[in-house]
Amino acid sequence: MKLAILFGGASYEHEISIVSAITVKEKLEKRFELSFIFCDQDHKFYLIDGSKMKAITFSRGEHRKMPQIFLTNGGFEQRSMFGAKKHEMPLLNLIHGGDGEDGSIASLMDFFHIPFIGPRKEASMLSFDKHYTKWFAASLGVKTLPYEVLHKEDERVITTEYPFIVKPARLGSSIGVSIVREASELDYALDVAFEFDNVLLIEPFIAGVKEYNLAGFSARGEITYSIVEEPQKAEFLDFEKKYLDFSRSGNVAEAAVSETLVQQLRDAFKTIYSPLFEGALIRCDFFEIEGEVYLNEVNPIPGSMANYLFEDFSGSIHKLLGALPEKKAIRVNYDYIHSISQAKGK
Amino acid sequence: MAVKSVQYKQHTFSISYEILNPSAHYDIIFLHGWGSHKNLMKRAFGDHLGQFRHIYIDMPGFGNSTCNMALTTEDYATILESFISMIEADKMIILGHSFGGKVATLLNPEYLVLVGSAGILVPKPFKIRAKIALFKLLKLSGLTQLRRFFVAPDAQGLSQPMYETFKSVVNEDFSEKFRAYKGKALLCFGHQDTATPMWTAYKIAELISDSKVVEFDGDHYFFLEQAATVSKEIEKTVLKSLEH
Repeated sequence: MKLAILFGGASYEHEISIVSAITVKEKLEKRFELSFIFCDQDHKFYLIDGSKMKAITFSRGEHRKMPQIFLTNGGFEQRSMFGAKKHEMPLLNLIHGGDGEDGSIASLMDFFHIPFIGPRKEASMLSFDKHYTKWFAASLGVKTLPYEVLHKEDERVITTEYPFIVKPARLGSSIGVSIVREASELDYALDVAFEFDNVLLIEPFIAGVKEYNLAGFSARGEITYSIVEEPQKAEFLDFEKKYLDFSRSGNVAEAAVSETLVQQLRDAFKTIYSPLFEGALIRCDFFEIEGEVYLNEVNPIPGSMANYLFEDFSGSIHKLLGALPEKKAIRVNYDYIHSISQAKGK
Repeated sequence: MAVKSVQYKQHTFSISYEILNPSAHYDIIFLHGWGSHKNLMKRAFGDHLGQFRHIYIDMPGFGNSTCNMALTTEDYATILESFISMIEADKMIILGHSFGGKVATLLNPEYLVLVGSAGILVPKPFKIRAKIALFKLLKLSGLTQLRRFFVAPDAQGLSQPMYETFKSVVNEDFSEKFRAYKGKALLCFGHQDTATPMWTAYKIAELISDSKVVEFDGDHYFFLEQAATVSKEIEKTVLKSLEH
């Protein structure tokens, strides 16, 4: 079965996406006939030779020597002097952060009728901005931590009690995130976060809170859940640790949690997932506080597709590919114009 | 990294900076040279001077800091002065490399560390003087489109305001500014440096009364490999006087 992995993108997580793609390649190459499409920061697409799927290929700019490909209806095409060679296959959107998770890629794929694994436009909108995710979860009755929003031009007054976490509203992978323990640390933490986004989210920091990650996807009305993982944490994962996290490929031990909690996590996951995230394999990160589950964030394109949480990862991707949501095609018949023209006798 | 906006002469400068060892008690500010950026300084000194709070700043027009007007060295100092007070940093030690050394001097810190600092005029080699003379001739004959063959490497690829800035800050005689500095200065220079040769260090030392020259083996960027030694010198100078 053919599958193209799309990675890179104009995103703060560009390099993480490369690491992710290399890891997913190892996990899927036995079962799939893979191709690799690299999107550079200027939105040029390149078809990357499988044997060149190494991080240094991109840091050295060697991808520019590989064939450039262009979007066309139903797929990509490689143009040459004597016409164009078409590459048609479903695509796995593995661009983390901007481009991949903000709805740009989803819109492009929809527009060009390319089937893909990844969040659709609406799902992207709601998960990309952590502020919107809060609204979304609240509307579905899924709990999240209390928060406040700070805009760049706002006066820097925070009412949340110390310690708290400062996060850019629209970034993943812990970029620009800091824990603020006292007033003297606040200004720098805000300057760091504002480098990446004009809107910040501030949430209480609960030391030692239990964290659980659960990934999954829906195929033909049935949700496949991964195991529940209790992520390793120092204080929290900073960018470098997360970076390593994106190249994970081994299997992790299932968290020792009660069946009740697993059920609570699955229920919350399902409420968030269906039907908005259909077509995507997502990972939801939760907190557990006094027996209650809180949604921390939704990763609609999790690092290395959370492969390490699935017993049969390639089988899961296969299953999801067979059940991608169809977009309703609109046929334009010009009935209305025809009938008016006829009525006017023209 | 972090970013803060500074207003100056009706322009907004977005200044990119980074702080290491945030809980350390004493501040050291690093200013890079012309055409460089804070990450180069961080690469050199990031793992040293652990007892200090490191503040790395991209100067306007370099690295991730913006600049859309022509600036003089004094403008740089004024912008950095307000930036430093905005982040509530202390001007205890400022380390400046090359052009950053001139800005550091104007900022008047308690301890000035000049690493291959500019500021003493070095006679241009014959080749450069010949190039300038030739271009002046070309200018008379109207062949100015050949200008790109004559532009100094430091001025290539600059935006218009930054090119104006370059013209105003390059070849500035800073003798009087060095003389006006009354704090303690540590001058680290490289033996093989041709941009700011060793003799200019001794010239600066004559102008700053409380100063000490330390000679290093290497060129204008000797500190990249010898940051540990440079750091030791700083510790020696600063910590010794702190004890008193």
